[in-house]
Amino acid sequence: MAKPASLEGITSLSGGQPRTMKRESLWLDAWRRLIRNRAAVLGGILILILWGTAIFAPVVAPQPFDKQVLTDQNKAPQWIVSIFPTMKPYAKISSNYLLGADYVGRDLFSRLVYGARVSLMVALIGPIISLIVGVIYGSISGFFGGKVDNVMMRIVDVLYAFPTILFVILLLAFFRGTFAKPDPGSFKYAISQLDGRLGGMLFIFIGIGLTAWETMARLTRGQVLAVREKEFVEAARTIGATNGRIMFRHILPNIVGPLIVAETLAIPSYIITETFLSFIGLGVNPPTPSWGAMISDGAQVIRTYPNQAIFPALALAITMFAFNFLGDGLRDALDPRLRGTQ
Amino acid sequence: MGRYIARRLIYLVVVLLVVSFITFTLMHSVPGGPFSREKALPKEILENLNKRYHLDEPYAVQYFRYLNDVMLPHFSTKAPVFGSLADDFLINIKLGPVYLRWMNFGPSFTSRSRTVNDIFRQQLPISMQLGFMAVLVGMLIGVPLGTLAALKQNTIFDYLGMSVAIFGVSVPVIVLGPILIWIFGVTLKWLPPTGWGAKPPYVLGLLPAKLGWDFFKYAILPAIALGLGSSAILARLTRASLLQVIREDYIRTARAKGLKESMIIVRHALKNSLIPVVTVLGPIFAAVTTGSFVTELTFGIPGMGKYFVTSITNRDYPVIMGTILLYAVFLVVANLLVDIVYAFLDPRIRYE
Amino acid sequence: MRSKSYFVFALLLVATMLLTACQQAATPIVQTVVVEKEGKTEILVVTATPAPQEPAPAGPKVLYTNFKTQGDVPSLDPAVAEDTASIQMIEELNVGLARLNEEDVTIVPGIAESWDISDDGLTYTFHLRQDVPWVKYNGTEVVKVQNCEGADRLVTAQDFEYGFLRTLKPETASPYAYVLAFAVAGAADYNNAKTDDPTTVGVKALDEATLEVKFLEDAAYNINIISLWTGYAQPKWLIEGDDCTDARGERWTETGFNQSYGPFALKEWVHDSFIALAKNPFWPGSDEIPVPTLDEINFTMLDETAAFAEYEAGNLDVILQVPQSDIDRVKADPVLSAEYVQSPALSTYYYGFNITAPVVDDVRVRRALSMAVDRQGLIDNVTKGGQEPAQWFCRPGLIACPTVADMPDLGVKFDPTEAKKLMDEYLAEKGLTVDQLDLTLMFNTSSGHQKIAEAIQQMWKDNLGVTVKLVNQEWKVYLETIKSADTPQIWRLGWNLDYPDTNNFDREVVAAGGSSNPTDENGVGTGGFFWKNDKYEELVKLAASEKDLAKRTDLYAQAEKILVWDDAVMIPIYWYTNLHTTKPYVTRTFSNTGAEHFEKWDINK
Repeated sequence: MAKPASLEGITSLSGGQPRTMKRESLWLDAWRRLIRNRAAVLGGILILILWGTAIFAPVVAPQPFDKQVLTDQNKAPQWIVSIFPTMKPYAKISSNYLLGADYVGRDLFSRLVYGARVSLMVALIGPIISLIVGVIYGSISGFFGGKVDNVMMRIVDVLYAFPTILFVILLLAFFRGTFAKPDPGSFKYAISQLDGRLGGMLFIFIGIGLTAWETMARLTRGQVLAVREKEFVEAARTIGATNGRIMFRHILPNIVGPLIVAETLAIPSYIITETFLSFIGLGVNPPTPSWGAMISDGAQVIRTYPNQAIFPALALAITMFAFNFLGDGLRDALDPRLRGTQ
Repeated sequence: MGRYIARRLIYLVVVLLVVSFITFTLMHSVPGGPFSREKALPKEILENLNKRYHLDEPYAVQYFRYLNDVMLPHFSTKAPVFGSLADDFLINIKLGPVYLRWMNFGPSFTSRSRTVNDIFRQQLPISMQLGFMAVLVGMLIGVPLGTLAALKQNTIFDYLGMSVAIFGVSVPVIVLGPILIWIFGVTLKWLPPTGWGAKPPYVLGLLPAKLGWDFFKYAILPAIALGLGSSAILARLTRASLLQVIREDYIRTARAKGLKESMIIVRHALKNSLIPVVTVLGPIFAAVTTGSFVTELTFGIPGMGKYFVTSITNRDYPVIMGTILLYAVFLVVANLLVDIVYAFLDPRIRYE
Repeated sequence: MRSKSYFVFALLLVATMLLTACQQAATPIVQTVVVEKEGKTEILVVTATPAPQEPAPAGPKVLYTNFKTQGDVPSLDPAVAEDTASIQMIEELNVGLARLNEEDVTIVPGIAESWDISDDGLTYTFHLRQDVPWVKYNGTEVVKVQNCEGADRLVTAQDFEYGFLRTLKPETASPYAYVLAFAVAGAADYNNAKTDDPTTVGVKALDEATLEVKFLEDAAYNINIISLWTGYAQPKWLIEGDDCTDARGERWTETGFNQSYGPFALKEWVHDSFIALAKNPFWPGSDEIPVPTLDEINFTMLDETAAFAEYEAGNLDVILQVPQSDIDRVKADPVLSAEYVQSPALSTYYYGFNITAPVVDDVRVRRALSMAVDRQGLIDNVTKGGQEPAQWFCRPGLIACPTVADMPDLGVKFDPTEAKKLMDEYLAEKGLTVDQLDLTLMFNTSSGHQKIAEAIQQMWKDNLGVTVKLVNQEWKVYLETIKSADTPQIWRLGWNLDYPDTNNFDREVVAAGGSSNPTDENGVGTGGFFWKNDKYEELVKLAASEKDLAKRTDLYAQAEKILVWDDAVMIPIYWYTNLHTTKPYVTRTFSNTGAEHFEKWDINK
């Protein structure tokens, strides 16, 4: 739309340089604020690097992640032994492995690189599941309001009292048990095939995604309730838009901001959940590497071969930092109350 | 307020019923039973075991039997004696010639001389002691860091402060724990590597008998390892909430009035910004006091944490039910306490 | 000012203390001594420097150690105990009719001083010693238990009879009653509730000092079975109560209530934390079971890595199982390696086959897979505990088990060329390539088993070209899977002795109806191996009643050949070892039977 002629060239009320009023979208405004947040930018770059490493893993990794050389078990390069002098009496030196080898002689660095895939899948599928379940639930509850909302939120309140990690463990035990020996051709079989192809992670993803759906549901519901009363929704209704259309084209786009922020900030907790599950033995199937499994294996030998735990822990920490900073930055950028201040 | 609390307590009962039902159903649908052994038990012995623990009855009967033992009060004229497992109730009150007995969570399938009540009495206080101290550490680290970050937004202090907090959550206890033990326990020998400084019997059922260095020296490392995690959440919340509050009108008014900045922050801004922080203390407290599995395992602390996980792997049904119900109670009660504290913190909040 | 005067006072106090301390140095004493010498009285003045004060007697001898397993001890009740930690404790608190010397694995008298065996070998009459009192810890010291008339309670044959019957009673639901049910006359029916008359069981106390036991078979291991913890004496008055004792039911073993009669008594049991045993000064002692030198033993229940950290910090004196993750460091450390000992443990680690499953139903495949495992390489690089490559199932050291020294070529060994030949032969006959073979190895979730499985998976790939899938299942689910119709092609298990006789391995585990080879009432396999070989069954049955040790060993050798070679029903992988580290000031014995006997230990800190 062309600018109204009357506004052009108006000098500002406070004097000084003339200012032209430009229409700015919410997203552009937020993007500008995000860029200015150096930590968030750093986080974003790190995540991109992570993405690249995961996708191009076969190129980045010097060796396949499952190549065992038993006689090379626990070997370490010289520079690691000089950092940890307690290793000198027993460590076997080898320069073939950038960060050392694990207990069956697999290259740690290659496994770290491939392990990024698991962490990224967790970071991707976890939010997807949680959003699907939470957003649908919360939207329905918030949109219809009244009794429906009351009942649905009561249910969420009650489920909050259930320790989610235990729920995930029970769920995993249930899935792994019932899907262990399915009849070929049945639905169960298809699921277990999919699971196998994902390295045994399908149920873990689902379980992890389910740890935060209640929060997403609550958040969505709150947002929907707030936006529902706005004029543009009423306007849409008067011109005859159906409920579904209002939901999808009007309400959802306006609430997506806080949802994204919440999910980004939840990703670190998904990653930690995967680490915990690996620790208690409910993680990926070997030989698929995951940082969580590498950390829990390495934690056992941390006093003997510290490199086996420290590098995966470092990779994990850096990733979590990145998601945390990005999430904080997104939140600061999208928060309307902070608009116009910087 | 009284009616509000009463309503919340009724709500607690509803929650417990729903949670117990879900748990019961889920745990019986998981394949594998409590009595699978490497040396397979002969059929008759298995039948004996199932009969002993009422596992041969239909599920509905088992469920209602459980509810009866846990939720309904029982009366008896015999004085309670520490003996038979079936006779162990958490609460025993003498009312004249009759004993009121309440809450029998059942025997443990794994440990043949203990009941779930024993586990509550002996291990829960330890987890709560550790939990208190961890939450304290979390607050002592998180709130100041978050305040600093908010006041110096987008400066180096902001990034640094938040980094320290996030560090606490990014390095898992699985790695941090053994490192702390290695440095302070084995090499420097300043603190004991593992263990806990209190054992039953406890004062008031909760506190250690002696509160001296002998007790605290065991608690320092695990409280730090565990508290760092919640410090990140608290730091972020404090920061976000304080950022909002210092932009409020009444703060601007206070500044205009000429009050000292530090006075404003501490007396006005901080108090109000702590409300969301207090909200999250509820769930944090519930999670941390019902035991952190990894911390307790790494530091060799005999708390409740491991029972949450091992009960499932052992299919120890009474312990599974007991621990999950315990968590639910803690969460609802913690949230209730938080809401009550709310009312004191913010005079605008009123409950009927 | 007040603070100043306090300061001066404190200074004076400190000065006084220092001065008095300095006066402890020995000063000569002048003594006047009256001496009678040859009828004459003499008065001598003797100056003597008192002998330097002997160092104050060392404090009580307390030994700090851990368990071989982790976590709380499940039970101290002989009737229901089933795991190694519980059994270790029970063996220190109580004594059986007979006992095993833990070093040479021979039977020695326990509470029974002697026993007579009838001519048909089925009836054993035990003569019990009458001087063993029941004791308990009353909060400060170990005291004798008194009955309602005030007299000391002594261990009687009735106590043993009660113990046996309680273990067999269906209501007790004892997981180990089956061992007794298998061997003792009438025990099975009583345990299965086919009769509720305890007098039908072949265990009778003829009087306070005589116990008569009737067995079903004339077997060499009868005496082992009857001496297991399941048959220890139990205190009826404490469990069921009497006129002066409250009934403690299942909790009779808890702190403050436990009554026992062996070399140690239970001082304190803090669940998940530690168990403290105190020396029982009323234990009369015998050649084999002396009165303990140690005053107290404290067993910590820490996780093995945490326990080892405590050992290195100097807070534990003995580690009964060194964590595999620390072995490299221990062997390279000058101090720790001197304290490190590897001793044989009577257990075997193996992979079993479901011989009815596809691909592994052919004996050539099974034998090839077995020969392609580089056991020594696995031990050197993965398990690292000085284990021994297992050529057969029973563990050398068990009574009547062949040893590698005697029969070096018995069983199966690593031979990749032969293995490949066999596999190629199979593939050629079936017209398949190695990639078309679909094999799965299943094991229970554990990082240790995973490491071994990954290594062996690689060995099979390198030596045979075959890719085997690895699947792990949670323990409880896994146990059900491998004893069901869904038993996978290859599955992992181990066996730890119940009693140190080959019968426990070769018959009770792998024979038809054994725990890894379950069958239904008609003898048809329902899980595990799904295997029945009549010659094997015959051999182990003969060996059970054979009295000559050499002949017995030879019978088992023939049976093992069928088990691991002819039929190749399993892949024996390694024979376990115990890895200990012991501080130099501890004098100890090393057990070959699994449980240590601490009454023979000493500590000189």
